[in-house]
Amino acid sequence: MGVLQYVAKRVGLYFAVLFIGLTITFLLPRLMPANPIDGYIGQIQARASGALTADDIVQLRANLEQLYGLKGDLFSQYVSYLERVVLHFDFGPSFTYYPQPVSQMIFNALPWTLGLLLIATLVAWLLGNMVGLVAGYFHTKKAATILEVVGILLYPIPYYILAISVILLLAYIFPIFPLSPTFPVGQMTPQKFGMVIYNSLLPALTLVLAGFGWNILSMKALAVATTEEPYVTYARLKGASNWTRMVRYVFRNAMLPQVTALALSLGTVFNGALLTEMLFSYPGVGLIMRTAASGGDYNVLYGAIAISIIAVATAGLVIDLIYPLLDPRIRHK
Amino acid sequence: MIKLNDLKISYRIGNRVIEAVNGVTLTIPDGSIVGIAGESGCGKSTLMKAIYGDIQSPMSLSGGSIEYGMKGADGRAVTTETIRREWFKSISYIPQSSMNSLNPVIRIRDQFTDFPGTDSNKKRVLERARAYIGKLGLPAEAMDSYPHQLSGGMRQRVMIALATFFQPELIIADEPTTALDVVVQKEILLLLMEVQELMGNTILVVSHDMGVHYQVTHKMLIMYAGRVVEYGDTESVFADPQHAYTKMLIDSLPTIGDDSMRGVLASMAGAGGDRAYRVEPELIEVKPGHFMARPSVGVAA
Ligand SMILES: Nc1ncnc2c1ncn2[C@@H]1O[C@H](COP(=O)(O)OP(=O)(O)OP(=O)(O)O)[C@@H](O)[C@H]1O
Ligand SMILES: [Mg+2]
Repeated sequence: MGVLQYVAKRVGLYFAVLFIGLTITFLLPRLMPANPIDGYIGQIQARASGALTADDIVQLRANLEQLYGLKGDLFSQYVSYLERVVLHFDFGPSFTYYPQPVSQMIFNALPWTLGLLLIATLVAWLLGNMVGLVAGYFHTKKAATILEVVGILLYPIPYYILAISVILLLAYIFPIFPLSPTFPVGQMTPQKFGMVIYNSLLPALTLVLAGFGWNILSMKALAVATTEEPYVTYARLKGASNWTRMVRYVFRNAMLPQVTALALSLGTVFNGALLTEMLFSYPGVGLIMRTAASGGDYNVLYGAIAISIIAVATAGLVIDLIYPLLDPRIRHK
Repeated sequence: MIKLNDLKISYRIGNRVIEAVNGVTLTIPDGSIVGIAGESGCGKSTLMKAIYGDIQSPMSLSGGSIEYGMKGADGRAVTTETIRREWFKSISYIPQSSMNSLNPVIRIRDQFTDFPGTDSNKKRVLERARAYIGKLGLPAEAMDSYPHQLSGGMRQRVMIALATFFQPELIIADEPTTALDVVVQKEILLLLMEVQELMGNTILVVSHDMGVHYQVTHKMLIMYAGRVVEYGDTESVFADPQHAYTKMLIDSLPTIGDDSMRGVLASMAGAGGDRAYRVEPELIEVKPGHFMARPSVGVAA
């Protein structure tokens, strides 16, 4: 299989996944027994203390259906939905923050979530793999087992317990970081940027610690298995240095499954966002999702779901396109 | 000239000690191909590892010594302690599993330069290696390939190229062709012979195939239970084996020049070749002087 074919196949798959994801996001609310428009009308009526006439309500319903793309039969709704979403990334207005468009809310929040979670995931991956590699490569040495213990201790701790412990320790007992972080709004200045970094360190630390343990344990196991490979033994008998053997022989081979694991964990970045952003009142997509879910803001919810589907699929695509560069056996099939 | 003086190598597992090489004394003349044979577990690989200087836990040198008859960079005689410095300089190793002995994610050319070797100028090494692999029947592109792009035979040629292009004095090959098909096996061994004729290095080659030994070696070493059973010029060992165990090994060889290997093997099995090995356990407990009885049991069966 040529490189072009591989890329074409992978990109095709990417679009297929996006298409299916967006279709499900379209169908999901329409399969729900409760009609969101009835809910909205009810809320509006409650605010107006029942002052709306029947005519007003019909008018309002028509307006809302128009606004939320609920006019016409299912198929024409679907076509106009795809058109809006694919061409303009338009999910309509938010109900709670009417008339702010959903896409704008999401785009404002997205850099926060991606910035925090992507960096934390990558750092946890890099650190975890480095520690795991050393622990695995020197697994016969006593000192190396200490490194593994770090992973064994960290790995089973549930994220929220870890996060709360870190907050207690580093914001309360030793107030190094702010207890309730504040994030500046508006135009970025270098000073504001510094503030963002400082306030993001604590959530980032919890995320790194949470991802770190698994990466250590997994890399350690892979590295131990790889050191037993005949090519590593042969490298030793050639007189290759420990560094060469550890990095070019053990790591280069043991990292391959870890890259796949990275793709999977990047895919679940938005799961992490929900909890982290709630705990640290971090203004990302997770916080928006939570607010939308509790306020019945459907458009925002579907917009956020769509963006996470796109992000997960894109992460997978990027890793799949990078992978052949790391494994010649895939590249030269 | 390499001299082994009452060499003893043991493995320690828990508090149990296995004497895998149990007092081997012999002299290997320079420029000869020495074949090593003997049943599985008799200590061939252990002896090879010891000579190569790859002695690490749980293996240890429990007695005797090895004289390499070589001088290191510091001008002093190479010993078991300093032989590591000579790895892929004046002593090299051809592993059994050519299939998995090359790093799958790194190009062949980079595996020619990722160890200290004799020359620190990587560019010059590569130029020389590129020219050299051509002589070993490999296409020049092999240098730029990844291992999976080469056939098993080509990979084993690469291993031979790696082990010989810097002209070592001693090459150790522990079953270098076991993973290959018969035709390729022969090619590879003939290649090894050619290289040796050109460079005049000493080669120690372990094989279970007595036919191979007959074809390529100058001297034969027959081992049993960690000891030397017989050692001498290949011609005379095959023509006039002294020890019953050697006789048994040579008898198991299909008549030289006979292509119907399959038929011979079948008749061997029919003649009770299997049953002879089944009485083995009781005999392994017997002290070295007693094992002469073993082949007579095999022959009787
Ligand atoms: N790493 C090890 N730990 C413990 N015992 C070992 C180890 N390697 C080898 N032995 C033991 O040492 C003895 C000799 O093994 P060795 O590998 O030298 O045999 P061999 O002649 O090379 O056999 P084969 O023909 O199967 O390769 C055997 O009894 C074996 O069980
Ligand atoms: Mg062996």
